[in-house]
Amino acid sequence: MGRYLARRLLYMIFVFFVVSILLFGIYKLVPGDPARLMLDSTLATTDPERYEAMYEAARERLGLNDPIPIQYLKWIGNMLTGNFGYSSVYRMDVIDMVAAPMKNTILLNLAALVLVFCITIPLGIAAAVRKNSLFDHTIQVGTIVGYSLPAFLIALVLIFLLAVKVPAFPISGVTTPGFQGNAFQKALDVLYHMCLPLLVLALSSAGGLTRYVRAAMIDALRMDCIRTARAKGLREKVVIYTHAFRNALIPMVTILTGWFVGVFGGSVVIETIFLWNGIGKVLVDSLRQQDFSVVLAMQMFYVVLTLAGNLLMDLGYCLADPRVKLN
Amino acid sequence: MKKILSFILAVVAAISMSSCSNTDQPESSSQLIVGSVSALNADMMDGWTNSAPNKSIKALLNGYETVSYTREGFFEVNKTAVKEFSDEENDDGSKTFTITLQPGLTFSDGSPITAKDYVFNILLYSSPEFGALEADNFSGIDYVGFEEFHSGETRTFSGIRLLGEDTFSITVKAENFPYYFELSYAGVSPLPTSVIAPGVEISDDGEGATLSEEFTVDLFRETILDSETGYRYYPKVNAGPYCLEEYDPATKQASLVLNPNFLGNYEGQKPSIEKLIIKSVTDATMMDELAAASVGLLTQVSGTAIDRGLDLAEEGKVEYATYLRAGYGRIAFAANHGPTQSAAVRQAIAYCLDRDEFARQYSGGHARVVDGYYGLSQREYRENREALESELIHYIYDLDKARELLVADGWTKNASGGEFQEGVDTLRYKEENGQLVPLIIKWANTANNPVSDLINTMLPGEMAKVGMELQATSMEMGKLLSELQQAEGQNYHMFNLGTGFGSISAVWYYYNPDLKNFGGSYNSNFLADEELYQLALEMKATEPGDTEAWDAKWLQFQKRWNQLLPDIPLYSDDYHDFFTPRLQNYTPDGLWTWENAILYAELQ
Repeated sequence: MGRYLARRLLYMIFVFFVVSILLFGIYKLVPGDPARLMLDSTLATTDPERYEAMYEAARERLGLNDPIPIQYLKWIGNMLTGNFGYSSVYRMDVIDMVAAPMKNTILLNLAALVLVFCITIPLGIAAAVRKNSLFDHTIQVGTIVGYSLPAFLIALVLIFLLAVKVPAFPISGVTTPGFQGNAFQKALDVLYHMCLPLLVLALSSAGGLTRYVRAAMIDALRMDCIRTARAKGLREKVVIYTHAFRNALIPMVTILTGWFVGVFGGSVVIETIFLWNGIGKVLVDSLRQQDFSVVLAMQMFYVVLTLAGNLLMDLGYCLADPRVKLN
Repeated sequence: MKKILSFILAVVAAISMSSCSNTDQPESSSQLIVGSVSALNADMMDGWTNSAPNKSIKALLNGYETVSYTREGFFEVNKTAVKEFSDEENDDGSKTFTITLQPGLTFSDGSPITAKDYVFNILLYSSPEFGALEADNFSGIDYVGFEEFHSGETRTFSGIRLLGEDTFSITVKAENFPYYFELSYAGVSPLPTSVIAPGVEISDDGEGATLSEEFTVDLFRETILDSETGYRYYPKVNAGPYCLEEYDPATKQASLVLNPNFLGNYEGQKPSIEKLIIKSVTDATMMDELAAASVGLLTQVSGTAIDRGLDLAEEGKVEYATYLRAGYGRIAFAANHGPTQSAAVRQAIAYCLDRDEFARQYSGGHARVVDGYYGLSQREYRENREALESELIHYIYDLDKARELLVADGWTKNASGGEFQEGVDTLRYKEENGQLVPLIIKWANTANNPVSDLINTMLPGEMAKVGMELQATSMEMGKLLSELQQAEGQNYHMFNLGTGFGSISAVWYYYNPDLKNFGGSYNSNFLADEELYQLALEMKATEPGDTEAWDAKWLQFQKRWNQLLPDIPLYSDDYHDFFTPRLQNYTPDGLWTWENAILYAELQ
C-alpha cells in the first residue's frame, strides 16, 4: 500500500510539471496583450502620456518583459510557495479573487450532489428491481427527457414558471438585495435563492445518473451470488441493498469521484442565467479577458484535484470491493 | 421513494415560505435597487479597476470636487466646495490654479474637510508608495514636479502647494497649454487623510507639499489593502452624496446609504433616496426582474430589449426615460496599409452599406446613424445639428457612387492587368509600383457578435458587386484589439467595435499623425492627416470659455473627418432607462448618467 501510494505520488508530481509546462506554453502562445487589457482604455484617449507610463508599469508588474522560460520559472516557483499569481483584470491576488465565487460554487454543487444522489440512487435501484414494469418505463422516458434537454432551457422554463408566472422563487442572485436578518435567516435566504439553480442542476444531471445506477443494479442483480442469497432465503431488501447494491458500487464510485472533482468546477450556464457568482463564470470571463494568472492557477488546481481524485477513486474501489488489489 | 420525494418537496416549500416571509421587500419605500448588466467588483477606490458599476459607485462616494462637469456639458468651478478660485500664468508658461475651500465642508463621519485632504489626494495618487500597492499612480502627471515626486527622489511635490487650512494650489506644466478644457486640470476631490494615512503630516515650507516619513507602503497595506477594513474595499469615510454600507463579494451586491453631512453637488443638490443597492442582472431576465420589482432601475438598455421594456411601460408597470448614446458602433479602418489607406476605398465601402437599414435591423429601430466623430448626446451635436446635417456627407447605399470612387482611385485593372470588365471580372486590381494589388479587404471581427453577423449579411455581397472582396476572420476581443493596434503587424484592414465619448473628446491625440508615438492606442486608425490634426490642435487651443469658437472649429474638424472617413459610424443607440413608477424626476442623459440624475430623483 505504502509503495503503491509513493509510486502514484511520484507519478502525480511528474504529470503536474508536464501539464504546467504545456498549459503555460499554450497561454503564452495566445495572441493579445494582457497588459493593455488591464488598463482603463479611456485613459489611452484622454491622457496618452499617463496611459503609456501605466502600460509600461503594467508589463513590468505582470512580468511580461522577461523571457518566457524565466516567466515560467517565476510562475511555477510562486505557485509552489502558495502565491497563485495576480489577476490582471481584478488587480488583486488570485487567491483573494476566487475565494468568494469558489465558496458559492462548492455550496451549490455540494447541495446538488447530495440532492442528486438522494434522488437517483433509490430511483435507479427501484427501476432496476422493477425492470420492464410501467414504473421502469416511466423512469426510462423521464430520464431520457431529463438528460436530453439542455440546462439553459430547463433554467429558462423554470424561471418563467416558478419566478415570473408564479413568483415562488427569485429570478436570480445569491441573496435578496438589502436583506436584513440574523445568521439563520441569511442562510435561509441563500437557500431560497439556491432552490431554482439546484432544481435545474438536479433535473439536468439526475437523468443520466439514474440510468447509470439502474444499469449497474441490473448487472448486479444477475450475478450468481444474488441468486445464492435469494436461495438462502434472505429478505429481498437485504438482497438488494446489502448484496446487489454493494456489487453495483464499483461503477458508482467512478461517477462519485467525477462528481467530487466537479464540486470545485462551476457551471457557466447555471451561473450566468441565475447570476450565481461562481467559479465557472469567473474562469470563462478570465479566459476572455486574457487574465491568464487566474486561468492557470485554476487549471493547475483542477489538475491536482483530478490526479488526487483518481487516486481516491482507486482507493475507493478497494473499499467497495475487497477483491480489488491496489497493485 | 414517496417519503423521500415528500421530504424534498416539504423542505423546498419550507425554504420558499420562510424566506418569503423573512425577506425585506426588495423595493421598499426607502431603497432603490439598480440593476447592472456589467458585474460589480470589490474596488471602491480609484487606482485599480474601473468597471461601469464601480465607476458609478465611486462617483456617488466622491464629492466636493473642485471642478464639476455640468449637465449642459461644461466644466465649471464647484461653488458648493470652492469659495475662491483663481488662475495665474507663470513666466515659464505653466499655470497655477489657487483654490480656497468653502467653510463647513465635512466628511460623512462629521470630521472637517481641509485643504490638506485635497492635497493628499494628489500626493497619494502620484506616489511611489501607492504604486507599490499595484495601483495606478500617475494622477499628477500633468503637474509641475511630478517626475521627481513620482520616482521617489523627493517627498516634496513642487507643483502642489498647501497654502493654509483651507487653501491650496496646483501648478500645471507649460506643455499642456493652450487648452480649451484647462479647467479640468484643477479638478480634485478630498480624501480622508486621517483614515487612509493616520499619523501622516503634510507640510509646506514654500517649496511644495511635503509628506512626512510616516507615509509608507506598510501603512497603506494595512489602511488600504486590508481585505476586511481597507479603504480600497470599504471606504467608510467619504465626501460624496452616499456612503458605502456594504459590499458583499459573494453576491457582488453593494448597498449605499445617504451621507447625512453632504451639502450638495455643484448646484447644491442633495439626494433624497435613502438607500441604493447595485446588483447584477442579465440581458435575458432583467425586464422580468423589473416587472417583479426585484430591481427598480435598469440603465442604458439598448437594442431589442427595449421593446420588452416598452411593453411593460404600456402595461403601466414601469416608466422609462430615453436619451442618446455618447458614442457609436463603428467599422474602423487601418488607414496606413493596404487598400484602406485610400479615403476613396473607405468611402466606397461606406456606399456599399445601407447604414440606415443596418441601424434599424441591429437595434430594432432604437438607434440612429451619425456621420462624424461624435455621439448624439454631445452638446456640440445638439447645438450644431443643422449644420452637420447639411454639410456632412451622409453615406447611403449607392453602388454607382462606390464604383465611381474606385475607378477614380485607380482600381481599374483585372487579375491579368487588363481593364476591369463589369460582369466579367470579379475583383478589381490597382497597379502600384509595377505590381497589381487586389482590392481585398481583410476584416477582423469578434465572434458571437450581432454586429459582426449583420455586417457579414449586408456588406460582402454588395462589395462583391463593385469588385471588392471582404475576407472575414473572427477572433476574441483581446486579439482584435491587438490587431487594431497593429501590435502583431499589419494583418487586417477593417475592424468592427464600439467607441464612447467622455466629457473631453481629445481628438488631438486620436488623430496625431506621429504614428510612431501615437499610432495604436491613441490613433487606432493610424490616420496621418496633417489637415485634420491641425484642425484638432486649433480646437485644443481655443480660449477657454469661448464656446462659439470651439463649436466652429469642431464643425470644421467633423467636415474633414467625414471626408477622410477613418470609421464608418454604424449606429448610435437611443438608450432607454426603465424604472419603477415610484421613481420621480429621474432625467438621465448620455453624459449625465444615472449616478448624476439620481441626486435629483425621489421615490414615492
